[in-house]
Amino acid sequence: MSATVTPFTAGDYRTDLKPVWCAGCGDFGVLTALYRAMAEQQWKPWETVVISGIGCSSRLPGYVSTYGFNTVHGRALPLATGVKVARPDLHVVAVGGDGDGFAIGGNHFLHSCRRNLDVTYILMDNEIYGLTKGQSAPTTPSGDKTKSTYYGNPEPSFDPCEVAISVGATWVGRAFSGDVKGTVELMSKALAHHGFGFLNVMSPCVTWRGEDQFKTFKAKSRPLPEGHDKTSRAAALQFTRETEIMSLGVLYEVKAPSLIDRLAEIQTRARASRTKEPTTDEIVRSFLPKL
Amino acid sequence: MPSTELTLGIVGSGGDGVITVGDILSQAAAFEGLNVIKTEAYGPQIRGGESSCNVRIAVKHIEAQADRVDVLVAFNWPDFNRFKGEMLPGDNAIILYEASDPTPVPEGIPPKAVRVPVPYIQLAMDSAGTKAAKNIVTLGVLAGLFNVSIDAIRAAITKKFSGKKAGLLDANVKGFESGIAYAKTLGAIGESKRLEYKKGSPKVLLSGNEACAIGALHAGCRFFAGYPITPSSEVLHFLSEWLPRHGGSVVQTEDELAAIGAVVGASFAGVKSMTSTSGPGLSLMTEMLGLAAMAEVPTVVWNVQRGGPSTGLPTKSEQSDLFQGVFAGHGDQPRVVLSAEDVETCFHSTVDAFNISEEFQIPVVVLADQSIAQRRETVSPEAFKHAVIGRRVPAPEEMAPYRRYKETADGVSPMSFPGIKEGIYQTNGLEHDESGRPNSMHLMHEQMSAKRYRRLRPIRDKYHDFYRMGPEKADLGILCWGSSKGTVLEAIEAANAAGAKVAGFSPKVLYPFPKAQFLEFLNSVNQVLVIEVSFAAQFYKYIRTFIDLPEHRVKVFCRSGGKNLSVPEVAEQIRKALSEMSMQKEVLI
Repeated sequence: MSATVTPFTAGDYRTDLKPVWCAGCGDFGVLTALYRAMAEQQWKPWETVVISGIGCSSRLPGYVSTYGFNTVHGRALPLATGVKVARPDLHVVAVGGDGDGFAIGGNHFLHSCRRNLDVTYILMDNEIYGLTKGQSAPTTPSGDKTKSTYYGNPEPSFDPCEVAISVGATWVGRAFSGDVKGTVELMSKALAHHGFGFLNVMSPCVTWRGEDQFKTFKAKSRPLPEGHDKTSRAAALQFTRETEIMSLGVLYEVKAPSLIDRLAEIQTRARASRTKEPTTDEIVRSFLPKL
Repeated sequence: MPSTELTLGIVGSGGDGVITVGDILSQAAAFEGLNVIKTEAYGPQIRGGESSCNVRIAVKHIEAQADRVDVLVAFNWPDFNRFKGEMLPGDNAIILYEASDPTPVPEGIPPKAVRVPVPYIQLAMDSAGTKAAKNIVTLGVLAGLFNVSIDAIRAAITKKFSGKKAGLLDANVKGFESGIAYAKTLGAIGESKRLEYKKGSPKVLLSGNEACAIGALHAGCRFFAGYPITPSSEVLHFLSEWLPRHGGSVVQTEDELAAIGAVVGASFAGVKSMTSTSGPGLSLMTEMLGLAAMAEVPTVVWNVQRGGPSTGLPTKSEQSDLFQGVFAGHGDQPRVVLSAEDVETCFHSTVDAFNISEEFQIPVVVLADQSIAQRRETVSPEAFKHAVIGRRVPAPEEMAPYRRYKETADGVSPMSFPGIKEGIYQTNGLEHDESGRPNSMHLMHEQMSAKRYRRLRPIRDKYHDFYRMGPEKADLGILCWGSSKGTVLEAIEAANAAGAKVAGFSPKVLYPFPKAQFLEFLNSVNQVLVIEVSFAAQFYKYIRTFIDLPEHRVKVFCRSGGKNLSVPEVAEQIRKALSEMSMQKEVLI
């Protein structure tokens, strides 16, 4: 960055669109943290793309003054894949909620982790469907009564961090949106990570999970123990599927070639003996009979 | 009297080398500048099992694969029987069957056909020392009997076996010569079918899927995402090799939802992108076509139709994705739908798809089908020329402030992309205002719907190409589309050569509907015959969505796929249509 450019502040990432979220929604904390984390990274807004699916939290790209695309339910990661692969020079952030990311978009989550796609995925996990007004989600604890589980949720929930670690994400963290400072710190690390960075932000829904959810999250929150070996998959997995506590921090972080690295390497190999791009005529003539 | 065209059919089991015979024959003919259409068919096994190959070779340009073969090579009759109904010998066909096959010659071989037992295996053993060379012996027999590209076939065999295990080349050349020598012993049986031609410049031999992929590269496509599906995977395969050479990338996604999602993302990021699929995949892609329409993101989908619904007939052709191609999706969403008629137009339609999509920021679906996407056909290497159009990026004066969905006369707004500092915008699949901000008020929805649909007018003004066949005024006018066009054209030419007055019309742009062009054609003919490979008569019904087709003038020939439309089949319908005019089938349900 040249010395004549004024550094970006958190406010530079704000749009004048007012969020549709309920007062007290955890997503406000995530949004504030994202402004600050982007400022910490000094990402140029015009070289940054924020992509979401559908849901309360997926409205977020409208509130960030970078390029933004609020897409189709569950499909934030496919869109992010296209943006990043087509334009590796851009910073790409995918955001969304637990229903969007783990139910309808679950398959894309698995494969984005596996590919080590060079994208940061910030997930606002409130353990409920908010926009459709209170149905159970893949992270809703078993037994919980919701609008769609009158007698209590008959299904076990899953821990997204466990899944991400298991299937190939190279950076996995857990944050609590009530702790904005801590969230900024983790988010900034996630943005800086090379490869698929997955930050699961526990982000309470005051409307469908009540005040209690915030209190519960807060009470259960604690930092990962000093000395946690985040390069060890086994160590990281010990801090998933927790019930009584909620460990916050960088659970897992390893270095590995990202999808973008591998595709760049393929391009290098494909073009190894070439000085210029093939012409249409050259491609066509490759179909001449080889006698 | 020598002939100007010849269709050869070869059937056998895995290991018989059927596909190699077809490959070498068609490569050799293409090398000599002849016109070739080659199709292959396989049994249900993943690997091995029976296979068949149909090679039509002609001096003049040909439009369709042949329905009946002039020459049939049967390595064993049980395999032939498995392809019954799909590999039909013509009335005067020459049947060259394996002499040692104990199975009696099956029924259904036309009585006038010449049946010749040929000891392929014995000849291979005697000349090459292995029965594995029997397909090379076959090439010798065929080349010798019918004057098909002997020198070129010899060169192809030399090329194929050079540098292989010592002695292999020599053995195969001996096998080939032994086939030629054997052909001489058969006397004059091949005389009436001997090809007479002058050698021309070599032609390229490729499939419709490959032509589509070349079109994509030519148009500037630098990102492709796809999910494997028969019969369109060759596009994915080809681009996985060539796109990286252009500095582009291919991603094989986890499903079709992700494939088209990635394409919309890449296109949003300013890079020309496409995906390819077939009916079941297009079903999944429907949700994202809606987003591309709403957010006005250029998106190109190559859809190769196969028999449906559901898994249907994955390896066989049908024209039954027309409704899906044009109408699938919730809400009012404009898109453009193009057709492809043969291998060469697979290239041109793909480039057009990119041009339209980029210029008008609209999703474009190209409807090809298995019969053209997977057949190999000769095309002149000079034919791959097509102007390329880019995207309309904002001018400096359009940046202060930049409005992504700014109202314009033609509905096309300047489209910024990441990296442009003053062009930052946030968009969505929600209804939105000119700046892209969510807005769910009726007036805004009406205004923006009008803006999105307004683009169809300039598209229709610019793109309404069609094929007009036959005389300017005709007793009968045939309406068809896509792969049916080539077959219909050959049938029309034959009918007119015999004194009939038949015309044909095949639109290249299916939507926006080229109404004026349809009406002009309908006004030039007395009776109308709609021909299509769709049991439910989707094309007939589709036309009626826009224009009236009076029942007393119109006859419909519609049948399900699984078998390609054939020239004799169309000829029969022309004959019937000219003699009895009534709806052939209840298609109004």
